[in-house]
Amino acid sequence: MRGIPETPGAEALLKQARQLAWISIAYICSTIVMLFFVMAGSQALKTEMAGEFLSLVPPTLFLIGDKIGRREPNQKYPFGYERAVSAGYVGAAVALLGVGAFLLFDGAMKLAMREHPTIGGFPIFGHVIWTGWLGIAVLLWSSIPAFFLGRKKRSAAKVLHDKTLAADAEINAADWQSAAAAVIGLIGVGLGFWWADAAAAVLISLEIIRSGWSEVRTALGDVMDRRPLGILSKEDEKVPDALTDYFRSQRWVKDVVVRVRERGREFTAEAHVVPSIEDNLVDEICKAAEGACDLDPRLASVTIAPVRRIPDDVERARQPAE
Amino acid sequence: MSCPRYAPLIAVALVTSCGLPKDPERTSEHLAATHELRVGFTGNPPWTSAAKAEPSGIEPDIVRRFAAQQGVHVAWVGGSETQLVKSLKEHQLDLVIGGFDKTTQWSSTAGITQPFAKDADGKKHVFLTSPGENRFILKLDRFLTDQMRSSAGQS
Repeated sequence: MRGIPETPGAEALLKQARQLAWISIAYICSTIVMLFFVMAGSQALKTEMAGEFLSLVPPTLFLIGDKIGRREPNQKYPFGYERAVSAGYVGAAVALLGVGAFLLFDGAMKLAMREHPTIGGFPIFGHVIWTGWLGIAVLLWSSIPAFFLGRKKRSAAKVLHDKTLAADAEINAADWQSAAAAVIGLIGVGLGFWWADAAAAVLISLEIIRSGWSEVRTALGDVMDRRPLGILSKEDEKVPDALTDYFRSQRWVKDVVVRVRERGREFTAEAHVVPSIEDNLVDEICKAAEGACDLDPRLASVTIAPVRRIPDDVERARQPAE
Repeated sequence: MSCPRYAPLIAVALVTSCGLPKDPERTSEHLAATHELRVGFTGNPPWTSAAKAEPSGIEPDIVRRFAAQQGVHVAWVGGSETQLVKSLKEHQLDLVIGGFDKTTQWSSTAGITQPFAKDADGKKHVFLTSPGENRFILKLDRFLTDQMRSSAGQS
C-alpha cells in the first residue's frame, strides 16, 4: 500500500488508528457538550474546554492527512501528496501555542483581580446538586478513556511512523494531567479556596504552551527537511548511518554522502556516490538502490547520483550543525 | 505521563470533601451568627417595586420566604445597579434583586442564581449574589429551583 511503511501488519494498524481517531473525535465532542453545561464560573473548566477543542485538531488532521497523503503522484504533484499534512501541522501547532498563551493570560488575570469563581447548584433529576461535583464527573469521563486511547495510539504511531498520530497520543496523555489539575482546582474551590480554580487553570495553560512549543519546533523542522527524528524518542534516526555504512561496504563505492528526509510516514534518501569502477556501473547502482530500500521498511525510495567528486554543498551535509 | 503525581492529593481532598462547597468569604457563617440577610434592591416593577423603604413585588416576596425558611431577617439596602453590584463584589451584600435575567451584563462581576421564573418573552429571571460564595448560592439555588417548579415557571 502506498504511503505507509512496508512493515507486516501496517495496513491493519492503519485501519485501527483510523478507528481510534474517530472514537477520539466522538468522545471529545461529548466532553465539550457536557463541559459547556457544567462549566459555571470555573476558569479551570473553561481552560479545560479550550484544551478539548484543541485536542480535536490532531485526530482530524490525521484522518485528512491519511486521505490526501496516500494519493498517487501525478504531473502536477510529481512527488505525491505525503507532505499535505506537514503544512496543516504547522498551523495547528501555532494555534496550540497561541491558545495556551491566551489561557495563561486569562487565568493569571483572574488571580490578580482576585475573582472568586461562582459555582452554584445544578438542577438534575429533581435535585439540585453542587455543579462542582458534575464538573469532576465530566473530567473523569474525559480523561480516563483518553489515557488508554493515548497508549494505543502511541504504539500505532511508532510502527506507522506517523507524527500526527504521535502528537495526538501525547496530547491524550497530557489530558489526564490537566484533568487532574482541574479536579483539584474544583475541590479547592469547594473547600473555600477561591484561588485554587484559577491556579489550576494557569497550570493547565502552561502544559498547553509546553506541548505547543514542542509541536511548533517539530513541525517547522519537518518542513525544513531536518534529519529524521524518532517518532517518540525525538532522537536522531539511525537510518542515515545505516545507509552510509551500506554504501561504504559496496566494493564499487569510493566515497558517499547520504541525505535522508521524511516525507509523511516514509523516508526518501539521496546518495551522492563516487564510484571506483566504470564497467557495469548502471547495474551496480540499480542493485544497490534496491538493496538499500530493504534496510528499513520506512524507506520508500533511494536515489543514487554517481559523481566524479562530491559537490561542495552536499559535502557540507557531513558537518555537524553549529 | 501515566500515573498522576497528584493521586495522593486527590485522595486527601476526597476524604475531606464532606460538606462541600464552602464560602471563601464565610457568608453562611456570617448569616448563622447575625441572623441577617443583606439584600440590595433596585426598582424594576413588577419584579421589584422600590416606592417605599421596604421593597414590594414578586422578588421581595421570594426573598422574604427564603429568609423565613432560613430563620433570618432581611436587611434591605436600596441603590443603583452599579452601586449594589460593587457592594456584592466587596461582600458587603449577600444578594441583589431588581428584575435581572440570566443574560444580565453583571454575570461576569457577580454570581447569578438558578432561575426562579420565566417571563412572557421566555427570559429566565435570576438574583445576583456575592461572587463565589458557593455554599450560600447552592442553598439559594435549591430554594429558587423549588420555587420554579411549584410555580411551573409562572411569575
